[in-house]
Amino acid sequence: MASIGTGYDLSNSVFSPDGRNFQVEYAAKAVENGSTAVGIKCNDGVVLAVEKIQQSKLMKPNANRRIQAIGKHCACTYAGIVADGRHLVSHARAEAKQWIDLYKSPVPVPSLADRLGSYVQAHTLYNSVRPFGISALVAGFDETGPHLYMIEPSGAYWGYRGAAAGRGRQTARVQLEKLSLPDISLEDAVKAAARIIYLAHEESKEKDFELEMIWVTKDGQQQIPSDLLAEAERLAQDDEDDDDEDDNDDQQEDAEMKDD
Amino acid sequence: MFRNSYDNDPITYAPTGRLFQVEYALEAIKQGSAAVGLVNSKYAVLVALKRNTEDLGSYQKKILRIDDHMGIAIAGLTPDARVLSSFLRQQAMASKMRYGRPLPVIKAANALADKAQGKTQYYGRRPYGLGLLIIGVDQTGPHLFEFQPSGNSLEYLAAAIGARSQAARTYFERTNSEFADASVEELVIHGLTGLRETLPQDKELNISNTSIAIVGIDKDFELLDNEAVAPWLERLGDTRRTRAPADEPADEPPEGPADGPADEPAAEATESMDTS
Amino acid sequence: MELGPHNWGRPRDDVYGSYNAAAGGCKMNTQSPIMTGTSVIATKFKGGIVMAADNLASYGSLARFRDQERIVKVGERTVVGISGDISDLQYVERLLDQLVVDTSYDCEGTEIANLEPANVYEHLAYVLYGRRNKMNPLWVACVVGGVDSKGECFLGQVDLLGVKYKSPSIATGFGAHMAVPLLRRLIPDEDRFEEIDEKSAVDAIDECMKVLVYRDARALDKYTRVVVTSEGVKITKGVQCEKMNWEFAETIKGYGY
Repeated sequence: MASIGTGYDLSNSVFSPDGRNFQVEYAAKAVENGSTAVGIKCNDGVVLAVEKIQQSKLMKPNANRRIQAIGKHCACTYAGIVADGRHLVSHARAEAKQWIDLYKSPVPVPSLADRLGSYVQAHTLYNSVRPFGISALVAGFDETGPHLYMIEPSGAYWGYRGAAAGRGRQTARVQLEKLSLPDISLEDAVKAAARIIYLAHEESKEKDFELEMIWVTKDGQQQIPSDLLAEAERLAQDDEDDDDEDDNDDQQEDAEMKDD
Repeated sequence: MFRNSYDNDPITYAPTGRLFQVEYALEAIKQGSAAVGLVNSKYAVLVALKRNTEDLGSYQKKILRIDDHMGIAIAGLTPDARVLSSFLRQQAMASKMRYGRPLPVIKAANALADKAQGKTQYYGRRPYGLGLLIIGVDQTGPHLFEFQPSGNSLEYLAAAIGARSQAARTYFERTNSEFADASVEELVIHGLTGLRETLPQDKELNISNTSIAIVGIDKDFELLDNEAVAPWLERLGDTRRTRAPADEPADEPPEGPADGPADEPAAEATESMDTS
Repeated sequence: MELGPHNWGRPRDDVYGSYNAAAGGCKMNTQSPIMTGTSVIATKFKGGIVMAADNLASYGSLARFRDQERIVKVGERTVVGISGDISDLQYVERLLDQLVVDTSYDCEGTEIANLEPANVYEHLAYVLYGRRNKMNPLWVACVVGGVDSKGECFLGQVDLLGVKYKSPSIATGFGAHMAVPLLRRLIPDEDRFEEIDEKSAVDAIDECMKVLVYRDARALDKYTRVVVTSEGVKITKGVQCEKMNWEFAETIKGYGY
């Protein structure tokens, strides 16, 4: 890396001669190594999904949630340094509360994303702080409909129909682009999100993981009905097995013939 | 040898996205003596190994009561435990004051995690050099959390922190399927066995160096020390480690930066700060 | 000399000079409610509670709004009925709404997220007592009722001073004088509510509301009635007092009109 040893990458808020803030770029590296998070926006709502790597068999199953609520009508998940994600969500919750205190109505999702973007950006301005080591996916449903935003460590944020962050983002983005968003049903979005997380997990297959999902609809952020969740996960697993067989077809015909 | 310039403070990222100061703080936990915790649907248990720095000195407390329904075991820089335990006790009191209910364990664990995260993002602070095991009971039953100074609190079925704790984890991974239906007695014995696995060769569990804590549904947090642990050690039987020294599992070596420039793949390191 | 309630407990102007807020360092908080709601009444029965509050918001003696809801649902099995200042009622309503959101964070769908009625009661007392100690009370009296996760009924009251108590039947405001004796006839002792079924409790509450309409000049004959059981909260809006008879009004004499 060309930046190393130049001295311009040791402190946040410092520009290198070619105009880069390396500490922010390094923060983005932390995101790239984090577990994959996916968001899909369709007409009826937004689905968030995250690949939750289980470091140890001793971890409690279906605990340690990685998708967090912000007020009644928003949810957030993130890839990167999880503790930083919790920090951002705490701030988002405070913003949402403040908005209600002031305006007596829930914060519009674009306004929330804007404030979070500003907060993250402020952490790139000073050498006394560290930029956020996360990309956050913020999903919400307000009176103007569903919204999906992704906030990056630089503070840049964009609205998306489909977004992905973390280790498997490349795979995920390819898959997201194949969907005709936002014109799919919420149920199809759930199935697609599950499938994408399973596909993206291929790259770190040796580790166990849990799939965590939530959706945000006109009724606010909610757990996805367990039967739909189970079906989505089953389809994703089937799909994965098919892929494995395809691989076998291509690469290991001998092995397969023995199986037969 | 490259000098690593990225490990002087907790607010500088290495080019790979790692935070060395935070990782070093995690190493501090391993300087402390071991503590283990287990949980099933009725009880949560802590068992810890106390140290005394000199023969005439007393043993350092390893398990602290937070409230009637909650307690912690500590490993690492014990002075930091004073801050975190009083913070937790304050939170526990505030919950009773404001809502008239004991502090839910997940709220306690998350409050600690979020407090610790703040020490990793702003200049002039240092991360806590302390790991915790938190056990407690609330409306959703007994719980066990492991807190790390990187700002994570994760829920476990069984966990171990401190020196040579990998040995206990290995034991738990082998036996944890038995925990679910275990009685509180069996749970404590599993805890003692796990802790015994972490002992150095010339050490054994005795009433001075062993602490046990139990909390359960309809059972307030109870801390056992000294004479009170004697019956448990008797039940455990052999107080020396059973494994041969050869297959002693080493703790992961500290990933110091001195070995070279820190641009090797960072996946593993980030994961250590990542719940995943 | 001015002898009205506004001057009770104040230094006498003829002795100390008149009070001058403009002198600085002085601040005056709410001294009396403005827009008000009258009584909230509630009683336990076997397996639940009934609560009622009429739909009137009075501006002094003017019946200003006739569609004010004064019973707030908090979580799944708790309700809070509020009498007193309507703007403070709206504040408490938002406070409780936020309380539910904050409590559920990171534990959605678990028992921790669902506050018990007793928790809501303690929290309101904490808030109201805190405000009274700042000499800036929220001018309300709240009745908290519900059923907890073990199926136990809960009924308690907290007022603007932070005074709190629990009882098998509770009424605020005028109802404390008119309704409580009637409800205590139904449930004379602490645990006798177990002998009362939902229907007789509801009938008693309806009867009390009628008595209050007769006697309380700030009451309205249209009200909201809520029943909480372990099944959840059942809200009946716009209940009308029936079979009222005002013929006796003709016989009332001596009020100057």
